[in-house]
Amino acid sequence: MAEIFDRDTLLDLTVNVIPLGIILFFVAAFVILDPFSSLDFYGRVLQMGLLAFPFVALAILTYVSGKAIAGDEKQSKVFFQGQATMEDAKTKHEVEEAIEAEIAGDAEAASDGEATEGGDADEADGADDTDEADGADADAAADD
Amino acid sequence: METSGQLLLTVLMGAFLLGVAAFLARVEDWRSYTPLGAGGGAVGESGYGHAEKPAGLIRWLTTVDHKDIGLLYGAYATIAFVVGGLMVMLMRAELTTPATDVLGSATFYNSLLTSHGITMLFLFGTPIIAAFSNYLIPLVIGADDMAFPRINAIAFWLLPPGALLIWAGFFPIPGVIPAQTAWTMYTPLSAGVGAGNQANVGVDLMLLGLHLTGVSATMGAINFIATIFTERAEEVTWANLDIFSWTILTQSGLILFAFPLLGSALVMLLLDRNFGTTFFAVEGGGPILWQHLFWFFGHPEVYILVLPPMGIVSYVLPRFSGRKLFGFKFVVYSTLAIGVLSFGVWAHHMFATGIDPRLRASFMAVSLAIAIPSAVKTFNWITTMWNGKLRLTTPMLFCIGFVSNFIIGGVTGVFLASIPVDLVLHDTYYVVGHFHYIVMGAITFAGMAGIYYWFPLVTGRWYQRRLAKAHFWLWMIGTNVTFFAMVLLGYGGMPRRYATYLPKFATLHQIASLGALLLLVGGIIWVYNIVTSWMEGKRVESGDPWRLDETNLNTAEWDWFEAKRETSLAATDGGEEVKTDGGQESRADDE
Amino acid sequence: MDENPGVSEGYRVASPWPLFVALGIPIAEIGILFGLVPLAVGGLLLFCGSIAGILHENEYVASAWRGLAVLSVFVIVAGGGLWYADAATESDLLVRAYSMIGTGVLLLLAGVGGELFARDTEPTV
Repeated sequence: MAEIFDRDTLLDLTVNVIPLGIILFFVAAFVILDPFSSLDFYGRVLQMGLLAFPFVALAILTYVSGKAIAGDEKQSKVFFQGQATMEDAKTKHEVEEAIEAEIAGDAEAASDGEATEGGDADEADGADDTDEADGADADAAADD
Repeated sequence: METSGQLLLTVLMGAFLLGVAAFLARVEDWRSYTPLGAGGGAVGESGYGHAEKPAGLIRWLTTVDHKDIGLLYGAYATIAFVVGGLMVMLMRAELTTPATDVLGSATFYNSLLTSHGITMLFLFGTPIIAAFSNYLIPLVIGADDMAFPRINAIAFWLLPPGALLIWAGFFPIPGVIPAQTAWTMYTPLSAGVGAGNQANVGVDLMLLGLHLTGVSATMGAINFIATIFTERAEEVTWANLDIFSWTILTQSGLILFAFPLLGSALVMLLLDRNFGTTFFAVEGGGPILWQHLFWFFGHPEVYILVLPPMGIVSYVLPRFSGRKLFGFKFVVYSTLAIGVLSFGVWAHHMFATGIDPRLRASFMAVSLAIAIPSAVKTFNWITTMWNGKLRLTTPMLFCIGFVSNFIIGGVTGVFLASIPVDLVLHDTYYVVGHFHYIVMGAITFAGMAGIYYWFPLVTGRWYQRRLAKAHFWLWMIGTNVTFFAMVLLGYGGMPRRYATYLPKFATLHQIASLGALLLLVGGIIWVYNIVTSWMEGKRVESGDPWRLDETNLNTAEWDWFEAKRETSLAATDGGEEVKTDGGQESRADDE
Repeated sequence: MDENPGVSEGYRVASPWPLFVALGIPIAEIGILFGLVPLAVGGLLLFCGSIAGILHENEYVASAWRGLAVLSVFVIVAGGGLWYADAATESDLLVRAYSMIGTGVLLLLAGVGGELFARDTEPTV
């Protein structure tokens, strides 16, 4: 468990800690400010139960899914979404290494400063001009 | 009269059953015929039946292939969308004048109102999502098919009878009138008590139809959960599962808990109506019980409808941003968070019913908490586009439209989660504007993004680009004109669900109707574009029509498409898709 | 992958049963809810017949006829339940109870009869 829930995973899980925190905030507010002081015991149980149930359920699901995802991340190759079954897919690790290498190389060549992980700027620019070019042709074809 | 009616019904039923028997005999006969001896002998042991698809209509009636079923879902949802859209156009026409000058009666307006809501949510929304998930998920996760192909087919075929029952009141059947209960079917109105006309059998038929769509959704959900858990390819670990599959998995979990409850509540309502039980009567469980049961289903239903479209956007938007989805795991975890929290917020639809204020406060707390995961996703989409190399293709435009409309719809929703604001705005057009920003501006936009994005994959052809862009802009402007006018109407105090209104609301209502007209024109263009392009659009010329390889953003389903193209080119010289299938039918080695 | 593109292309599958399972449910539901005997009987026959067929096709049961006979027990029990409820409540459920019990008996006869006499003519799927 200690290995699975490392710093990166915990950082990923913070996204679900925020709603948990909001629920906790209201629990504290209802306890400290006690806006419904005349609550009988049953009412108090319902009020807190409605907050406790989502809190506990979310905490459990976050733990279980975090364990499943982070566990698989450590045991097997990680691909980007939708690419795992592709023949020539690079793993996330390979892509990141390539980027680091590129950046290191760029430091010397001082050319393509901002290589993003998704491919380089020139290619994408070229794609801009011609994107859906097929579709444009189809316009003419189908309008005949 | 009574006896002759029964007799007629008996004869019709008998004839129908004979027809079914004859059809089955014919199909069974065809099925025992194996044209290509190879593998034919082993067919019986395979558990899959037989190794070929019939031709023509029978193919579509008997298919259990996930792709065919996905297409059936898509066609069904399109028809339902057109029907629901035409219904609301009649309503918007009525609302151009303060009195009921156009339709002539508020009764008809109420019927349209009810059917529009149910049609769009249950007959369009859920099925269009099922269209994407059926077609794509097995391809993306590397499964051979769905876990239970036959249950998949049953789930689809429950929908057409469901639609006919829901619309039954509009058909010229003597003595049957349409339901006018609104889609929430609040008791006591929907229980048929009192002096109104809602004891009519039309309401019973609608409830039955709704019940069928619920059964269908539940069967589909079980299938998806089983498929995603057990049928994934070895490489597709939990860490590699794509975001669309994650949202479908979460959605299926929600369906599994929500829809059986709706089914039970509907059966209780039917019993109340027909057999004198008192589940929702004042002397029994009380009318508020219905609202609790309904919204315990109804609020998760909102997320059942919105999560997969969020998945489509999370999947498609990065492809045209030239980079990977920012914070992929944030999106996954927040999807799961929405799934869980959606079951803890149902009574925020009931703040104005006079329920215990201390319980109300708890529901408000969770409702505010659930805004966070949705906001996280929004920030992730924006940061994905930030500094990206955007390609403004039609699917991308619809994705951006989704994000934009979702922000307006979401922010208006956060205010409704707050009790004091809700008590002012409850049951006004503000609520209508809010949720239409979500269901039309976001969910439908994401659906359109998906349809345009995967159109080449499914048809092997291109849609017409200019028409598609026109469709987008008409819808983007139309959506905002229509539904922002509704938000303003709500601020003015215009109540929901009325066919008539005070003259002071006329201008804004007319603006909303104008926006609806833009939506209608856009919708007509869309249908025309899809139909004509499907039949005679330009053929796609590579296996990577969106050129995703250039940015390393290609995904498994396009890999499949490329492989399919290569095979079919070799086998049939790139003929019609039907022939493509024909070319591969001879392969019985999998049996 | 090369030999077998379209992960699912390899399984050319079709089944006539799902359509009729799905049609049987609403017809039976309407018939039983509104007490329309022809629809109740016909819908249940269609539903149970298709279920037996699909179970046989999947090889969950060795013989469709035996499957039919087992299903008939469920229908008869449900009809019996309605018959009991008719006596216990004010609602008039008798016609519904009889149509279900009747259908169950028909199904049972069909199942037993088919098992005894019609085995050879069954399609060899």
